Amino acid sequence: MALRGSADGAVRSDLGEIFRRDYRQVVGVAARVLGSRDEAEDVAQEVFLSFGRSSVPAAEARGWLAVAAAHTALNLLRSGRRRALREEISAATDDRSVRDVAEAVVTLDERTRVRTALARLPRKQAVALVLRASGLSYADVAAALGMSPGSVGTTVRRAESQLRKELTRHASCD
Amino acid sequence: MRHATEGVLRRLLDEPAGVPDVDRRHVAGCPVCLDGLAAARADAALVDAAMAPESGPDVDLDAAWQRLSTAGLATATAKRSPTVRAGRSRPRLHRPVVAAVAVAVVLAGAGTAAAADWLPIFRTDKVAPVGLTTDDLVALPDLSAYGDLAVTADPRVHEVPDAAAAAAASGLDVPQVAALPRGIAGRPAYQVGSKASATFTFSAAAAARAAAKAGAALPPPPPGLDGAQVRLDAGPGVAAVWSQRAGVPALVVARAVAPTAFSTGVPFETVRDYLLSLPGLPDKVAEQLRTFTADGSTLPLPVPADQVTTSPTRVHGAPATLVETRDRTLAAVVWVQDGVVTVVAGSLDAGEVLSIARDLS
Repeated sequence: MALRGSADGAVRSDLGEIFRRDYRQVVGVAARVLGSRDEAEDVAQEVFLSFGRSSVPAAEARGWLAVAAAHTALNLLRSGRRRALREEISAATDDRSVRDVAEAVVTLDERTRVRTALARLPRKQAVALVLRASGLSYADVAAALGMSPGSVGTTVRRAESQLRKELTRHASCD
Repeated sequence: MRHATEGVLRRLLDEPAGVPDVDRRHVAGCPVCLDGLAAARADAALVDAAMAPESGPDVDLDAAWQRLSTAGLATATAKRSPTVRAGRSRPRLHRPVVAAVAVAVVLAGAGTAAAADWLPIFRTDKVAPVGLTTDDLVALPDLSAYGDLAVTADPRVHEVPDAAAAAAASGLDVPQVAALPRGIAGRPAYQVGSKASATFTFSAAAAARAAAKAGAALPPPPPGLDGAQVRLDAGPGVAAVWSQRAGVPALVVARAVAPTAFSTGVPFETVRDYLLSLPGLPDKVAEQLRTFTADGSTLPLPVPADQVTTSPTRVHGAPATLVETRDRTLAAVVWVQDGVVTVVAGSLDAGEVLSIARDLS
């Protein structure tokens, strides 16, 4: 395998095994943040590139990967998300019936709002919410973020409450 | 008994077994908690639906592994496959938060930083971190509300061809890295920032208006403070930046003349202590800042506490601050020696940045 031939030995030996075990989860975390599967796979590639050169203990790999995926995706959301969404909407309005277009725009609008709000949340709240929504247990989220398991629920609840406010505030303006 | 907290109610939805029996029993018989549980359930469902990713086929693990192998980790030895990712621009990833913060402090110093807040007005002999959450950063008062802020010299940053040119342009000893860590190669780009200066003139009338706007009364200013000036100087500075793919900095080594504040009329400590008492400053930050008051010789680094951890260390005999992101993707070490502040930051682990810092010549 090409990965094993690195002359300076920089690539960790357990990368293939951990990649096969955790790649789906990393894509899933990034997809929660970004909505787009293609972008989520781009993020997953970046995350595993960093992981492959890291010395993160194997036992902590899963949590490290999930947190790195959430941060990387949130950074992407902050930096380039607006243009990407415009392109999505533009693509969605090509070659469709008027009804489909309207539905697509409404759906995309809600997605845009929730993700704009997600990017504005305090980073810890956003990451905890995304990890939890991606199926990590409270204990896993707590360990990955250095929190107590008891505070995970509070953090997630605050994040959801804030996002709901953003969503309903816009809905009531429509 | 008291009602279940929001966190307990939220966990009940996901992991009822993780909630103590006593809480579960209380919630089952408590109308207030049941209402709270219903609200939590509704919010969770709404947010979950809004955040649901687009549906699609399962990931193709083999294709993904192939992409990682050919387009990514094999770059050290193998040729990059021209077919992979052709025609698509790389997303901007791994924003070097710590590096950006550190370099902003070093290069901009009291220029842009002082325009936004007043933290860097301390004369700098050593560096200590201030724990700030994102909310606190937003809540920091803009100093311009409390008087006039005149920027007399903007920091101008420009690239120069090599270390010798950087030394000539900045007048500083450009730090030389003894050995690059694994994964970082090539020559750095050198940037030089010119000296920045700004003068802040405190105005009791402006401060009173700002306080009134915030719904608070202005603490009475000490005698002589109205009209007192603080001059802020920073720089020049120099940075060597090693980039990885997509132009993202992988390693930054930066050095600058540390920011200094000069006051007129009243002692600097008086200005500082009064600024600390102004309305709008979060109590926690004010409390932390008060601990720095011994000789007013600390550069507080405004680092977001929810993203990074900081710890004290030593570099070249000087006290230093080590900053790591909680996801351990970035680390930085900052220290001040003889009035010059130096930063080593990068997408590296703490051991690597410390090793680079200690081997700098």
